[in-house]
Amino acid sequence: MERRVAFESSFAIAEAVKMADIDVCAAYPITPQTHIVERVAQLVANGELDANYIPVESEHSALSACLGSSAAGGRTFTATAGQGLELMHEVVYVASGMRLPIVMSVCNRALSVPLSIWGDHSDVMSVRDTGWIQIFAENAQQAFDLTLCAFHIAEDPAVLLPTMIHIDGFHLSHVIEPVLLPEQEKVTRFLPKYHHPFALDVNNPAAMGDFALPDLYTEAKVAHDMALRNSIKVILQVWQKFGEEFGREYSPVETYGAEDADILLLTMGSFSEVAMEAIDRLKRAGEKVGLVRLRLWRPFPFEQFRQTVGRAKLLIVLDRALSVGGPGPVCSEVQAALYHLKERPQVIGFIGGLGGRDISVEGFQNMIHRGMDKASQGKPGEIEVFDVREK
Amino acid sequence: MNDITEIRWHGRGGQGAVTSAELLALTAIKEGNIAQAFPSFGPERRGAPVIAFNRISAGKPIRSRAAIAEPDIVVVLDPGLLGIIDVTRGLRDGGVLIVNSSKGLATVNSEIGGPWKLAVVDATAIARDILKRPIVNTAMLGALIKATGVVNLESLTQPLEERFGKLSEINVQACSKAYKEAVVMEYSPGVKKAEKVYPIEKSLSWKELNLGFVVTEMGNARSYRTGYWKSERPVRDNAKCIKCGMCALFCPEDCIHQDAEGYFEADEFYCKGCGICARECWTGAITMVEA
Repeated sequence: MERRVAFESSFAIAEAVKMADIDVCAAYPITPQTHIVERVAQLVANGELDANYIPVESEHSALSACLGSSAAGGRTFTATAGQGLELMHEVVYVASGMRLPIVMSVCNRALSVPLSIWGDHSDVMSVRDTGWIQIFAENAQQAFDLTLCAFHIAEDPAVLLPTMIHIDGFHLSHVIEPVLLPEQEKVTRFLPKYHHPFALDVNNPAAMGDFALPDLYTEAKVAHDMALRNSIKVILQVWQKFGEEFGREYSPVETYGAEDADILLLTMGSFSEVAMEAIDRLKRAGEKVGLVRLRLWRPFPFEQFRQTVGRAKLLIVLDRALSVGGPGPVCSEVQAALYHLKERPQVIGFIGGLGGRDISVEGFQNMIHRGMDKASQGKPGEIEVFDVREK
Repeated sequence: MNDITEIRWHGRGGQGAVTSAELLALTAIKEGNIAQAFPSFGPERRGAPVIAFNRISAGKPIRSRAAIAEPDIVVVLDPGLLGIIDVTRGLRDGGVLIVNSSKGLATVNSEIGGPWKLAVVDATAIARDILKRPIVNTAMLGALIKATGVVNLESLTQPLEERFGKLSEINVQACSKAYKEAVVMEYSPGVKKAEKVYPIEKSLSWKELNLGFVVTEMGNARSYRTGYWKSERPVRDNAKCIKCGMCALFCPEDCIHQDAEGYFEADEFYCKGCGICARECWTGAITMVEA
């Protein structure tokens, strides 16, 4: 029987990890991810999850231990956030280059200095180019569903790439919501067994993480790039299968009220639901606005994205990360994706929600209006930080 | 010659090809030219084939930093490379090839002659005689200057002093001796490069790589003939050998093994000729001779 429980996203993820019957979790606790690994450790200690929980001395070691376990053919999970992800950074590249399907929850957190334990997407953007699949959840249910799907996607023989499930620190990690938990039997049927073609085997030794001369490095990087780009096919298949089995649909680019909208707002993560509320209010006032929620950040879903926003007149993009001295990372990516289209929406970027700063429903309404004003004034190029005190 | 003279050096790790290129650039710059020197960057291993490059121009800015594929001049520091590497690959018609060899001009020409000027010098003999070790780079600079005149012999002295300090005097001597002894055969147009097949390692496409760049042929270094790298080989005097195995203990390649009679013998297939066995031998039973 499906169960309806009250869980914060952290516990929902731990529950998905339990149902996925992982073999190894190596992790180092860091706010706001602590509840996930604490809960996983508890499940292992209670005997509810038959796995090795490896407490390590740092995030660098956490992911390094995960490399070993995944390479040995074990289903492997870890979680981190903010500074922890930064300390892990070197190994993040290694995991994907070695094509090890580790699943990692990232509780999106701001980066120091100033030190902030609260949420934004600075850490997400710092690992944008590491060759992992990156998926955003917007609520606790999605955190559960997408974590489960992440194992399926990552371990698919046509993919074999590590996958991050991004949940916004505190806004999701620590917020209790109702979550539907499927039956274990159904999950077990849904999730195939993990098999790595070059799994560590003393009888068939292999060298992993080798070095490449200039003669081969490019080819190795292209092979990795093609694998990540092609993974979108499997991502679509797995989400479709999940929808058929469990009744909840996921897509690389999702919308809300965007069908007849001229003006679109683009968000990622938990703020999307706040923005939905703003869209509802503006629609009631007769405004032709809609929402685009980018669920899949890597590989960037170019085709789906162009199909979704290509016909709009104005696209307002919210970045929850500030690329110091540069454009908003999502905004510049979106502009690049649209550049070659003959007809494309005007793009206006905002930066906001940094270091845990809230954006309310009214805030999103204001942001959309501000974007419309800027478009009509012909000032699309200026980067604007939303809700910053000038004096 | 073009506005920019391009030179490619072929040698082995430890012979000084990179130093040669550096010294040549220093000298050319001292003479008021624009010049560039760089190695083919990679793992540095004594004895492994290495390449270094120079570009020299009287006034035209040198902008390319790419490896030189079509050199005007090729210098070969190690005669053993001629059989395994296509050293004259891309050498321009009318260019210059300078080879270190004890075989003499006529023999070298029959082996590797072509539409270029050829200079031959026994730089190893000169280096052994004057430097007491087979580091041929400064001798080869002398031969290069004689055959091409890219810089003046006298201009090289100061860079050599700065580089080698108290060893500079013997290096200047080696350089001058090679300048005198190098024999040159002028370019005769129409001569064809001898057809010869060199082993080429096929480079894989991205589609052919193993997932995650995994290497599955474990121990494939076994087929790598590092014995090709040596310019000297160890010779044992059984009268002095006490079969202690100290040579095998110190061999960095682990290529010295005990035979049926109890003597320790270096495997020529792998021995790089580093000479550590000879140095460590207590009884002086091992000496290094030309390979």
